[in-house]
Amino acid sequence: MAARFTVGGFAREWGHCHLLANYLARYVSANEGDPERHATLLSTFINELLEVIYRNHAPEGQIDLIFRKRGRHVVLQLTLPVTEQNRVFYRMAVQIVNQPDLKSWYRARLEEPAEGEDTMLGLLELAAVYTCTLTISEPPGQDRLSLFLELPEVDEMGEV
Amino acid sequence: MPVALNMRLTGNEEQEVTLTGTLRPFVAEEMASVRSSLEQAARSARGTLCVNLKRLKYMNNVAFLELNRFVRWVAHARPDLRIKFVLSSVIPWAIRKFQVIAELYPAVTIEVYDKALYPTQPVLEDDEFINVLRMQEKLIWNHEQDILVQHGLRPGLRVADICCGLGCFDIFIQRDFRPEYLVGVDHSRPLLRYARQVVSDYGLENIEYQYGDAAALLLADNSFDFVACRLSLQIFHQPEKILHELVRICRPGGRIYITNEMLSCMVGYPNEEVIQQGYKSFLQVSRQGGVDLDMGPKGRFLLQGAGLEDIKISQINVSNTNSDPNDLARVVELWIRVAWQFGAAAGADPSLHADVEKGLRAHMETILSDRGYAVWPIIAASGRKPFRTS
Ligand SMILES: C[S@@+](CC[C@H](N)C(=O)[O-])C[C@H]1O[C@@H](n2cnc3c(N)ncnc32)[C@H](O)[C@@H]1O
Repeated sequence: MAARFTVGGFAREWGHCHLLANYLARYVSANEGDPERHATLLSTFINELLEVIYRNHAPEGQIDLIFRKRGRHVVLQLTLPVTEQNRVFYRMAVQIVNQPDLKSWYRARLEEPAEGEDTMLGLLELAAVYTCTLTISEPPGQDRLSLFLELPEVDEMGEV
Repeated sequence: MPVALNMRLTGNEEQEVTLTGTLRPFVAEEMASVRSSLEQAARSARGTLCVNLKRLKYMNNVAFLELNRFVRWVAHARPDLRIKFVLSSVIPWAIRKFQVIAELYPAVTIEVYDKALYPTQPVLEDDEFINVLRMQEKLIWNHEQDILVQHGLRPGLRVADICCGLGCFDIFIQRDFRPEYLVGVDHSRPLLRYARQVVSDYGLENIEYQYGDAAALLLADNSFDFVACRLSLQIFHQPEKILHELVRICRPGGRIYITNEMLSCMVGYPNEEVIQQGYKSFLQVSRQGGVDLDMGPKGRFLLQGAGLEDIKISQINVSNTNSDPNDLARVVELWIRVAWQFGAAAGADPSLHADVEKGLRAHMETILSDRGYAVWPIIAASGRKPFRTS
């Protein structure tokens, strides 16, 4: 499944994140054993990703979102136009996610929240709490980059 | 941001604030009213403040961080106060998220309310019980099919089957009534796994199974024409709460259909006295476990109490003459074990079980004898949701 939309249309309204996340999640979950549960969880992940994109993107261009299945995991590939500043932001996020002690880092942030960090925490939480993996790919010479988010197995979620 | 906020004082030592719906704000400032309500509640609360999130379907990280800030604020402003986040296992993202907060702050706990609420659940997931359900379903369907028509089921409807168990009923419904949409909801993963396996083995389509809690369904208001809840209201401590949900998801003019057992009228001849004594003890055991296997005759009362109209009642009689007596005897034999497990889970007096066993063995004998007659009665009741509620 793939979706393509323009930055201009998407970033016009905050509510688009929520609507798109729910719509795409439901679509992708149609063939799952429990589509409702799968979609609720997927929507949570997609929404968080879209919210970060909403706040960090170049003023123009296209956003491509591709869903793939790898075994029992869903992998999301999101490609977006970026400014240099955005690029630094995403690189930093991926760097933090891939540090060895992400969990304690995340906890420390909750205990002592710093100003202006909330946006990135949304993305980092996906890795710290839900064990998603986040990687980045930057094709040389382009003002676009791709984020890859591999989601955990939905079946294992929600257990105590 | 479609979030509903509800504050309720539930007692001297426990106050509750409920958030339902969707909480996905753009910036923390949009959480101001939620924050101030929470803080107000925390200021006046004593003992424990419960933050009920069991029907909060979506929440983004902006909202979560605000809740985290609220908890930090409480830790400073009200160090004596405890906070309990009440979650449901049905909301798949919630537990992990709040576990982190619970680990960070000693005053915070999380409660997954639906884990604690249904102590008999493990019995229902036992292999033995799965066999009971499957056999029962096979026995009942032949008799229930026509009754369903009398209660308003016809092709092309949107049907919900709440507490669907193994989903056998849904497969029959799909085959014989071709609903427009059919969803089965149950709170047991093993049973649902079985249900899904059957659906995929037979290549069936158009049946959706959901993991959910009948007491807090995530299905939309007014969205089904026919809502069934079979042999299940009887297992809940507060059937009215479940019924309220069934009515909520039914559209005005649609019907709610329930079936329940009537163990006190389980009859057979010969052996009539031993049989009756056996089921009397069975009833006692089940009541100790919070289950009312004599709820059948209360169906009319319950449906009327829920504000339904045009109430219809039918009796389904599975007997050793209208069904395969071997199947029926096998089901009764399995009940003996179910009663045993039930009794053990509920801490019932073990001597009761001797009575159950004696009575049900006598019942089996009657069922299998070619001169005996034995009946398993089930009461089906349905009512229509009015177009206007007063
Ligand atoms: C006696 S069985 C009846 C199953 C099925 N309707 C039938 O007739 O075979 C009761 C069912 O209720 C389910 N159940 C128990 N608590 C529940 C809850 N809170 N929400 C949804 N289902 C629940 C159990 O998992 C079980 O499948």
